[in-house]
Amino acid sequence: MSATRSNEVIPGQPAIGNRNVPAIEIQVLCKTFGKFHAVDHLTLTVQQGEVFGLLGPNGSGKTTTINMISGLTVPTSGVVKVLGYDVRHNAREVRQILGAVPQETALYEELSAWTNMDFHADLFGIPRREKKQRINDMLTLVQLADRKNSRVSTFSGGMKRRLALGRALLHDPQLIYLDEPTLGIDVQARRAIWDYILQLRSQGKTVLITTNYLEEAQALCDRLAIIDHGKLIAVDTPEHLKQTYGGNVVELETAHVITAVDKIHALENIKEVRQEKTHLTITTQGTGNVVPQIINIVSQEDEIRDITIREPNLDEIFLRLTGTALRD
Amino acid sequence: MSRISYNLRVIWACMKKDIKVSLTDRIFVILGVFLPVNFLILFSLFVLSGGQAPTAVVMNDTGPYAQQFYHSMAGAHSFILQKATASEASRLIQAGRIVAVVTIPADFETRIQNKQPVKVDVDINNLNTDFTNDIRRAVPLSITSFYAKAFPNVVTIVPHETDQYTQDTGYIPYLTVSILVIALVVGGLLQSGTSAAREWENATMKEVLLSPASRWAVVTGKMLGALVMSLASVIVVLAVLIFIIGVHPLHWGAMIGFTLLTLAIFIALGTLLGTLIKQRQAFTGLAFGVAIPLFFVSGAFGPISFNVPILQVIAQITPVYYAIVLQQYAFHGFTLNTYGLAANTLILFGFAIGLILLSALVLRRSTVAN
Repeated sequence: MSATRSNEVIPGQPAIGNRNVPAIEIQVLCKTFGKFHAVDHLTLTVQQGEVFGLLGPNGSGKTTTINMISGLTVPTSGVVKVLGYDVRHNAREVRQILGAVPQETALYEELSAWTNMDFHADLFGIPRREKKQRINDMLTLVQLADRKNSRVSTFSGGMKRRLALGRALLHDPQLIYLDEPTLGIDVQARRAIWDYILQLRSQGKTVLITTNYLEEAQALCDRLAIIDHGKLIAVDTPEHLKQTYGGNVVELETAHVITAVDKIHALENIKEVRQEKTHLTITTQGTGNVVPQIINIVSQEDEIRDITIREPNLDEIFLRLTGTALRD
Repeated sequence: MSRISYNLRVIWACMKKDIKVSLTDRIFVILGVFLPVNFLILFSLFVLSGGQAPTAVVMNDTGPYAQQFYHSMAGAHSFILQKATASEASRLIQAGRIVAVVTIPADFETRIQNKQPVKVDVDINNLNTDFTNDIRRAVPLSITSFYAKAFPNVVTIVPHETDQYTQDTGYIPYLTVSILVIALVVGGLLQSGTSAAREWENATMKEVLLSPASRWAVVTGKMLGALVMSLASVIVVLAVLIFIIGVHPLHWGAMIGFTLLTLAIFIALGTLLGTLIKQRQAFTGLAFGVAIPLFFVSGAFGPISFNVPILQVIAQITPVYYAIVLQQYAFHGFTLNTYGLAANTLILFGFAIGLILLSALVLRRSTVAN
């Protein structure tokens, strides 16, 4: 694949991508601010049509990574390609095929929803004859058509996110990135945003989201990259991450405090045992089933009042991979 | 769509958007229009009232010579005179309302007629050296002037004046034209700088930087938006200058051209500083911090060539100096330096092009921090 696909992109008419070309290709990407390594030798690939999540705590390098993908920040070293275009050399082409929903929404709050969309349409060279219809369509899609003439400053956080999303989609981008799309908005608005993202997936769009909400990553993402301190810790589907790094979690409630914790720990495929009075949380690893043996040990000492066997959540996986909780 | 028509569309969109955003900030719009007018009016009032010393004259003699002496004082252009009794004058100087009391003695007429020396008492409130020295210079000048008129045969030395220009230029017409320039400086800086800083402060610059639009087109659009907004204040200032203060341009075309050129320079400088500083409040402080010293060192109050050499050097590295030179030409027809009209204009053009290029370059290299 050649680094430069074209020297000129015609505004309003994004380049049609070859479906075999990765949507995003990041190779040994580094960004340093003085002595601080915000992104440290990051390498990953996002395929077209994927909803891909960058998961990591605040300051882990997610936003710096997407700023480099969009050309807002210049990498210290490494290569970023978007649909085959090298971001450094073809920034304008990349911006034409990219729809961005920044964390701050970047809306002109003094202006109406319509004026914001209209300005975006002009910046992206959307043909004048199509402009009005496309703005109306997008405002309808994000359910803001009835508020099109209202000032954005009068909108709730959720409405602003929806408007920012509608604006990002106005020029029909092939890749959409959403930086913390549901940060600071209520549950109902979060659900609405999730629905739009899932709609985009069904339309075959590539979506890149950064989040530190595991529930969100699990609900939306085909694949996840876990980033911490600018480094890639793991990349896989949520299910594979659970299988590879998870095992099962067995939660037991006994009648009295038991003393057989060491015996459980000594079993094969036991990763961790935590005891809080009469409550035991046992994390297993690998594919072997040790649950009958655990039940056997515990029931010999005390009555088991309750038992739950579940898959680990991503919080627990993140904790295991990085040694810190996600929102630390 | 061709690249050119796309860029023109971006320029138009950025201009339109900036004007709309600026108009939503009503207090800023009002300030933007009236601040320069405020400068003009307050400086004019300061000049009208502040340059002459309020002085009471106690006329203990009202004869023709005493009256003639009073008129000589009035013609010295150094006093704001009022006649008062001795007790009124004493009260006024004690209250700090006047700088001096000049007392014309009761035997003034008789002693003049008898060619005897006359003692004119001058009481000075010497709180302010500037005014004190004015009085110390102007009273002897009034006496000389009185003698020249009362006894023309006695005074043998008279000045023979040859003027460089066909007419005198009053201080108010000179100063108000300089103030017009400072209004352009402040208006241009504030409109463009706050607009640029606002984009960064509200993070809306991300929307612009994430688009495929050329940075040159964006900067041009933003500058044109600031130009339109600044013109509103310029029109008001010009209206006050021409219709209220009564200072009319001699060369209308030159005045309009130099006005636009000066605005372009300071709009570009404002865009540059706003992009670098990224915060409206900090920018506004800096804008005044830049504009006011530039005003004082650029020959606003009088030709800079009459000042000390260091001030002349400083003045000539600022565009305000050339703008004042060219506007004084447009209004009054004289050129304050020896460079000639074309060279002054070219220098101003150089500033404009340099700053426009620099501000576009800075925006081009600006990135969004996390």
